[in-house]
Amino acid sequence: MTDSTAPTAPDSTAPDSTARPPRTALETEVPPDREAHRCERCGRPFAAAPALALHRGLAHGDDLDPAEREAYAAALDDERADLQRFRIVALGALALLYFGLLFAYAVFA
Amino acid sequence: MNDKRPPMSDRLAGGDRRASVRTVALAAVLAATIVAALAGTAAAHSGALRGTTRESLAIPTWLFLLTGGGAVGASFLLASFVTDRTLIAAIHEWGASVDAATVLRAGRHLARITGLLGLAAVLGVGLFGPGTGARNLAILLVWVAWWGGLVASTYLVGNVWPAVDPFRTVAGALPTFDYRYPERLGAWPAVAGLLALVWVEVVSPLADDPRLLAGTVAGYGLLTVAGAVVFGPGPWFARADPVARTLALYGAVAPVGRSQRGDADGSIRVRLPGTALRDLDLGAEPGSVAFVVGVLFVTTYDGFVATDLWAGVARTLVAAGLPPTAVYAAAYLVGFGLSYGAFRLAARSARRTADTYLTGRALARRFAPPLLAIAAGYHLAHNLGTVLTLAPALLSVLGSPLSPPLNPPTLAALPGWIGAAEIALVLLGHLLAVWVAHATAYDLFPDRVQAVRSQYGVTLAMVLFTMTSLWIVTQPYAEPPFL
Repeated sequence: MTDSTAPTAPDSTAPDSTARPPRTALETEVPPDREAHRCERCGRPFAAAPALALHRGLAHGDDLDPAEREAYAAALDDERADLQRFRIVALGALALLYFGLLFAYAVFA
Repeated sequence: MNDKRPPMSDRLAGGDRRASVRTVALAAVLAATIVAALAGTAAAHSGALRGTTRESLAIPTWLFLLTGGGAVGASFLLASFVTDRTLIAAIHEWGASVDAATVLRAGRHLARITGLLGLAAVLGVGLFGPGTGARNLAILLVWVAWWGGLVASTYLVGNVWPAVDPFRTVAGALPTFDYRYPERLGAWPAVAGLLALVWVEVVSPLADDPRLLAGTVAGYGLLTVAGAVVFGPGPWFARADPVARTLALYGAVAPVGRSQRGDADGSIRVRLPGTALRDLDLGAEPGSVAFVVGVLFVTTYDGFVATDLWAGVARTLVAAGLPPTAVYAAAYLVGFGLSYGAFRLAARSARRTADTYLTGRALARRFAPPLLAIAAGYHLAHNLGTVLTLAPALLSVLGSPLSPPLNPPTLAALPGWIGAAEIALVLLGHLLAVWVAHATAYDLFPDRVQAVRSQYGVTLAMVLFTMTSLWIVTQPYAEPPFL
């Protein structure tokens, strides 16, 4: 099932979304065996509820009802925690890359 | 009392100034005379003012200096005859305020004339000029001035090709049938054109044979103008012309560009290099992603066929009985197909890694523009040395296109850091591409972790591209066999 959502505002740019050029509508496709969390305002489907909550806050931040606002805040908290975890992993990968290259240079160069 | 007379203070000041100017000028003339007299005829070649003209003077130095001083003094005396206050004021108030649009229009005319003159030179000198490549203006104009210089300026500064493009100028002056451009073809004619042009460049001595180059330019020009006449210059140059399309994409890397907001004749926008790539809308047109991949691919192909590895592979395959042209063509098309497929796959993988419902096509359209930064870095790395080496030849041949010097000067040896700079440029292009992909992902996905995950596939593709490009740049040049 393929559907082009109605002209979607770019997500993470709520404050200056008016300053951005209009863009070709984002094309989305929900696999038949998956459920979609659809944005009530622009119709864009998301695979997870937190992503929709974040999308609401970022793209339609100026007209949220209190429940949506709360969901946005909660999703932001979770996102921050996830991001923190990712940063630790990324730092580990960087260290691995750095020392790996260092050893490689020590041995082969 | 006369109303037109300025206030007393002004008149006094003016009078004073005039008196002091006169004194200074007289003093200067006197001083010049004295210096001249003292210097005498001693320095025979003192005509070397600022060291530009080294010819000896036929007249004594003091006379030369006196003449110069005299001219200044005489000008002062002549100027002093102009006593009409309103005339003096009128001269200084003459002028018109010119708005930026007028300057742009004038610049566009200038660019058009330059483009037409360039085309005339390429065709005329290419066909009737000297037969050796390095002495022929057509070769130097196309490969050094245009491919090395102008194309580099589109991503380093901004894209002026629409104004310079002589074929667009010619097509603009012709009537058009305005047939509808077939939508389903999209960018594919441009992809085919791009691959064809680069193919001709790689397999034929287009960089050495001025006749062939002029013929190719004429052929491309005829096709382009015909296309523009049939479908209208607007759609043709925006969609089907590979050259205009490539340079328009490169222009999105540049720090200066047309403002995209609203009106078509928008203002000029200055931005950080590469940042406009995030907002580059490839549209829903079929083939637009393939074209971007093609732009990147062709910059690496002509580097790749000049490596020892390729020479070995090609020799083996030809020894096995395959015709050389087929070997080159197969490597070319397979290489392009692999690059395009790999990129589509990489972009599509974000559907899984980022758990998003955006289609693979939508993801590819948004993650393709960062590749242009890589292409720009590679183009610059590939051409910097050539342009620096041949720029003196271009300047010297430009002076006398039809009877150029036998051995036009070239830069004898490039400084050693050029090699390092080339590698740095390739890396810089990749870093910029990674950054633009990052910004694009943040633009696409509300969840920042999701945004990071969406880049895994594209990043892997870029890492592979980097390693390939760096490998090609570090390979010594090997003459491609059988060409």
